[in-house]
Amino acid sequence: MLTFKLALKNLLGAGLRTWLNVAVLSFAFVLIIFYNGMIDGWNEQARRDTIEWDVGQGQLWHTDYDPYDPFTLQEAHGMAPAEAGLMPVLIVQATIYPEGRMMPVRLKGIPARQQTLALPTEALVPAGDETRIILGKRMAKSAGLAEGDRVLLRWRDQHGTFDAREVVIAQVFDTNVPNVDAGQVWIDLAVLQEMTGMPGEATMLVADQTYAGSAPEGWAFQTQDQLLTEIDTVIQSKKVGGSITYLMLLLIALLAIFDTQVLSIFRRQREIGTYIALGMTRREVIALFTVEGGANSLLAMAVGAVYGIPLMAWLAQAGIPMPAATDNVGLAVAEKIFPVYGLGLVLGTVALVTVAATIVSYMPARKIAYLRPTDALKGKIL
Amino acid sequence: MNTDPIISLSHLTKHFPVGKGQFTALRDINLTFGTGEFAGLVGPSGSGKTTLLNIIGSLDVPSEGEALVMGRSVSSLTHKESAQLRNQHIGFIFQVFNLLPVYTVYENVEFALLLQRMDAAARKKAVLDALEWVGLTDKINSKPPQLSGGESQRVAIARAIVKRPAIVLADEPTANLDAKNSHHILQTMQRINKELKTTFIFSTHDEKVMQYLERMINLADGQVVRDELVQPVKS
Ligand SMILES: Nc1ncnc2c1ncn2[C@@H]1O[C@H](COP(=O)(O)OP(=O)(O)O)[C@@H](O)[C@H]1O
Ligand SMILES: [Mg+2]
Repeated sequence: MLTFKLALKNLLGAGLRTWLNVAVLSFAFVLIIFYNGMIDGWNEQARRDTIEWDVGQGQLWHTDYDPYDPFTLQEAHGMAPAEAGLMPVLIVQATIYPEGRMMPVRLKGIPARQQTLALPTEALVPAGDETRIILGKRMAKSAGLAEGDRVLLRWRDQHGTFDAREVVIAQVFDTNVPNVDAGQVWIDLAVLQEMTGMPGEATMLVADQTYAGSAPEGWAFQTQDQLLTEIDTVIQSKKVGGSITYLMLLLIALLAIFDTQVLSIFRRQREIGTYIALGMTRREVIALFTVEGGANSLLAMAVGAVYGIPLMAWLAQAGIPMPAATDNVGLAVAEKIFPVYGLGLVLGTVALVTVAATIVSYMPARKIAYLRPTDALKGKIL
Repeated sequence: MNTDPIISLSHLTKHFPVGKGQFTALRDINLTFGTGEFAGLVGPSGSGKTTLLNIIGSLDVPSEGEALVMGRSVSSLTHKESAQLRNQHIGFIFQVFNLLPVYTVYENVEFALLLQRMDAAARKKAVLDALEWVGLTDKINSKPPQLSGGESQRVAIARAIVKRPAIVLADEPTANLDAKNSHHILQTMQRINKELKTTFIFSTHDEKVMQYLERMINLADGQVVRDELVQPVKS
């Protein structure tokens, strides 16, 4: 406690030099917390949106279903099991012809009155004799289609026979989840089953909270976590990528502290000698200098808090606008990301910076152990 | 004067390694000091005065012979023990003051007591007392860079005596002071010596200091060439 008090006094007494080190270190501090908070916020948003719009509480897949293989899709369907808490989706390959162009799409039949996913499927409730579809804004944009437009849809039934019909775009919806948007066309399940001659069949089923978890023969359950691994991987790589930037900054800050310490031990030899003459042991002096260097991190925390807390609180409120280009990472990216700053993140950063600052302070301070007090008092160079 | 020796040096020799060989800074020193002495090591620069004070202050150890300080052999002390000896029984006064620059006058004086973990009330009393002795109660909150040389050395004296040590070692304390300030601090130390029975050992080649000494030990080339009781000119 005494050491700590003395160290803080020395540090504050050093004036400008201390504040320069503290400024750099506090930048590192704030940046680490901010960047990780942003990624965590993104992660949270991406997971939440993907769950709401796409994966639900997990999915029961027909064993032949492979979302990455369009060629097996034709075979990957069967009678939908009648378990509670499952919403069937039938998926077939199809083609649309907007303005005479040909666009392969994935045609997905979903119950119009479902509540499991956030898709606005009420728009699919049949009305009149037109066939209604909905699609996401990305899909609408790439096809050049808008609400109310009509487009020719061509598909194959269960025997492989082509059929075609004009459909109307009942709604263009806005989602952050590219998986339910790009290349996807949504249609009422019953309509699609009728169109393909596959009544009662599904390719996969999306679970809600009430699903008990049993998978009948021919179906395999994909847990929510399994379906979200892709997000985790991307988020992880973003974290690693960003950490290089702030670790560089942290390194610069630590180098500045190290440098100050090395200089201190040269320039403050008389002071070291005086401490010893007054009755401190060399180990106590080493502790004093180490704590003094390490205390930079405490000042940096205080300074970082002064400008960091308002800044980060504001960003957590206002959100960080994401450039449209980030939409292409294949991950759900909102227009604005709201950073979240967990206690673990803050405490972890505090620990990291404090430990690092203490270590770089200790390394030069160790030299004091080899310093003879009589030489120190004369101010001789080590 | 009490004849109980609190410092006893016998056959004390100090070598320093110089290049491949060694330099003998002190040679076969035999001296004792009793409580309340006001003594000076007098000799030209390089005669070994500082080296001898450092050994008495347990900042250094003899190469040969023995130095007993407060009944303890300096050579046999651990780092911790010698730190404790200095903290409790020995006050240092240096030629260049060596005040801690970021601490106030009060904090500089308080420092040794903090190391002793003295409680706050007793500490405050002792610090104010010591500053009273040196006449600096009005500079309590000043920092060393704002003080004159004379004031700085008075702070150093207060710092040395605040813990009421048995021994004060003053290494050329007037070398950076003008005549007026030199006399002032010497009179202060003389007064402390008389009233608190603190043993003072000076190193000096300053005539002004010699005028106050009651015992003069002449050193030359690391040897005691004369050791005599003298009548202080000033008192
Ligand atoms: N650490 C050391 N290494 C080598 N020589 C030293 C060392 N310390 C002192 N000396 C030498 O010992 C002699 C006595 O030094 P010192 O005690 O400082 O003399 P004084 O204080 O009387 O001027 C000098 O010649 C000095 O150069
Ligand atoms: Mg000297």
